[in-house]
Amino acid sequence: MTATALTGDKLLNGPAPSQRAFHIRQVIIYGLLVLCALLVLVPFLWMLSTSLKTQDQLFTGQVNFIPNPAVPQNYLEVWERLSSIKPGLTFWRIIGNTLFITLLAMFGEIFSASLVAYGFSRFRWRGREALFALMLSTVMIPGIVTRVPGFLIWKQFNLLDTYDPLTWPSLFAWGALYVFLMRQFFLSIPREIEEAAIIDGANVAQIYWHIMLPLIRPILLAIAVLSFQGNWNNFQGPLLYLSTVEQFPLALAMRFFDASLSKEAPQWHFMMAMATMMAAPVLALYFLAQKQFLDGINVGGVKG
Amino acid sequence: MDPGALNSYWPTLVRYALVAIGVGGVMVVVYRVQLAFGVNREAATGRALVMPWVIGFLIFNVFAIGASLYLSFTEYNLFKAPEWIGTQNYQELFSLHLGALDSREQRSSDVLPPRHDDVLRVEVGDGGFVLGAREDGFWRSLKLTLPYAFLSVPLGLVGSLGVALLLNQNVKGLGFWRVLFYLPAMLPGVAMALLWRWMFSQSGIINSAFAPVYGLFGLETPRWFTDPGLALPAFIIISLWGVFGANSVILLAGLKGISQELYEAAAIDGANNWEKFRNVTLPMLSPALFYNLVTATIGALQVFEVAAFIPTPDSVGTFLNWQIYLEAFTLRNMGMASAMAWIMLLIILALTVLIFRSSQGWVFYQGAREEAA
Repeated sequence: MTATALTGDKLLNGPAPSQRAFHIRQVIIYGLLVLCALLVLVPFLWMLSTSLKTQDQLFTGQVNFIPNPAVPQNYLEVWERLSSIKPGLTFWRIIGNTLFITLLAMFGEIFSASLVAYGFSRFRWRGREALFALMLSTVMIPGIVTRVPGFLIWKQFNLLDTYDPLTWPSLFAWGALYVFLMRQFFLSIPREIEEAAIIDGANVAQIYWHIMLPLIRPILLAIAVLSFQGNWNNFQGPLLYLSTVEQFPLALAMRFFDASLSKEAPQWHFMMAMATMMAAPVLALYFLAQKQFLDGINVGGVKG
Repeated sequence: MDPGALNSYWPTLVRYALVAIGVGGVMVVVYRVQLAFGVNREAATGRALVMPWVIGFLIFNVFAIGASLYLSFTEYNLFKAPEWIGTQNYQELFSLHLGALDSREQRSSDVLPPRHDDVLRVEVGDGGFVLGAREDGFWRSLKLTLPYAFLSVPLGLVGSLGVALLLNQNVKGLGFWRVLFYLPAMLPGVAMALLWRWMFSQSGIINSAFAPVYGLFGLETPRWFTDPGLALPAFIIISLWGVFGANSVILLAGLKGISQELYEAAAIDGANNWEKFRNVTLPMLSPALFYNLVTATIGALQVFEVAAFIPTPDSVGTFLNWQIYLEAFTLRNMGMASAMAWIMLLIILALTVLIFRSSQGWVFYQGAREEAA
C-alpha cells in the first residue's frame, strides 16, 4: 500500500469513530459553555449599552447594543440631575457616605470575625462545639425578625438617621459565614507551629498577629471581597435607618432617583449609568482578587 | 468635603471607637474572671476571644427575637406604648374564608365577610370559589414567595449541577469560565433589580427580541410583572441568572475534590457513565448539594431588593420580606409586622428541619463513614 492510498482511505472514512465521537462531544461542551456565557454577559452588556444611550434611543422596540450617538456624559449628568432636586446630594457626598459605611463595617466584621474564629479553632474549652453550632444556626434567622425590635432599640437611643446602626454592630462579628470560613482555615494549621512560638515566648496576641493572620491571608482576601460587596451593596439596612437624603449611600440614592426623577417616564439611560458605577468597584475588586476569592469561598463550601 | 458630611461622620466614628474599646474591655474582664476561678489559660483565652460574638448574639439575636415575639402579641404604632392584645394579630392573620361563587360575574366581595379581600379566585363552570383573607396582602405574598422558592431553588440546583459537570470535562481555560460564571453574583442587588425591570419592561430588550416569536403565535406583547401568570416565571428567571453561575463554581470545586481512584474502581467494576454519576459523583457531592440547598432556600424566602425595585399590582402580590417591611415601616404596624415575621421564621425553620431530616437519607459524609468503619 502506498502513502497516498492511506490518506485517501482516511479521507473516505474520516477519523476513527472514537475520535469523531470525541470531536462531537467537544463541540457540544463548548457550544453549551458559550451559550451560558452569553446568558451571563448579555444583561451586563445591555446595562452598559443603555447607560451610553440618549433618551430617544431607549424605547425603539429594537435590540441595538451599539449606542449611536454614544453619550458618556450620562455618567456626569445623572449626578447633576440628582443635585438639582437635592442640592446636598452630590456625587462626592454619595461616594463618601457609601465608603464611610463600607470601610467601617468591613474593618469591624473582618477583625471581630477573625478573633472569634481564632477562639473557636485554636483553643480547647468546654462548650466550644455547642456554641459554634449555635452560631451557625443563626444564619436561619431572617433579618426582618430582628429588624423591627432593632429599629426600636436604635430609636430608643436616639441613633436613628445616624450611621451607627450600619457600622459599629459589625464589631460583634455579625457575619457568621466569615467566622465559619476563617475557622476552617485556622483548623488546618498544624499545632506544632503554635507550640514552637509559645516556647519562643510569644503571647497570644503576637501569635495571632504575626503567625495566624499571615497564614490565613488567602481567605482574608476572599472575605474582604465578600465583605466589601455586602456592605457596598447593602440596601435593607440604610433603607430602614437613614432618612436624611444627604446621608444616603449609593443604593438609596438610586432608589431616590428612581422614585423622584424617573417616576413618570423611566430614565433608564441614567439609571443604568448609576447601576454601572455602583457595580464597577465591586467588579474591579473581584477581577483583581478572583483567583484567591474563588479558591477561598470554595474551601468553605466543600469542607462544610 | 462639605462640613455637613463631616458632621454626620464624626459622632459615629467616636462611638465606633468607644464600642471597640468596650468590647476589648469585656474580653479582658472575661479572661481575668475565668483565671480567678481557676480555669486554665487556654480555655480562658478561647472563651474571651469569642466574646464579641457572644455579646452581639445576646443583644441582636436573643433579646431582639424575644422582643419581636412580645411585639407580635401587641398593637404598636410607635406613637403609643405597645398594647397587649393577646393572639389577636395571629387570629387576624389566619382569618381565612372560602366563599362559593354563584356565577362568573359575581363580585368576590359579595361572598366574603366584611373586611376580607380575595387572595385566590377560581372560576369553574358557571361558578367557582373565592379564598378571602382579612390580611389579604400577607397571603398574596405567600402565594408568590412559596411557589417562587419551591421552583427557583430546585431549578437553580439542577442547572448549576449541570454547568458544574460541563466545566468538569477537562475544558480549556477553566479559570476564565469560572470567573465569568461567577460574575452575576457580584452585581449589586439594587443594580440587578433595576436592570431586570428594564429588560422585562414593555419595550425592553426581552420583548423586542421575542417580538417575532409573539407574532408567529399571535400572542400579545407580555406585560411581565403585571400579568399574574407571567410574574412568577419572570422572577424565577431573575433568580436563576443571579445564582446559577455562582453555585456551579462552588459545586465544581466539590467535583474536583472527588478522588479519581473512586472512578477507576467503578470502571473496574464495569460501571457505565450513568452508574458512575449515580453511585460515585452524586454521593460524594451530596454535602455540597446539601449546603447549597439550605442556603438557597433561606435566600429565596427573603427576596428583598427585587421586590423593592420591581413594583407589582395586587393581583400578583409582592414578596414576603417586602410585605413585612411595608407593614412595619410604611404602615407602622409594628405588632402585626412582628407576627408576620415570626410566621416567616417558623416557615424557614420548618423547611430547614425538613431538609436536615431528609439529608440523613441522601447526604454522604466520607469522614463520618470512615470513623464508623
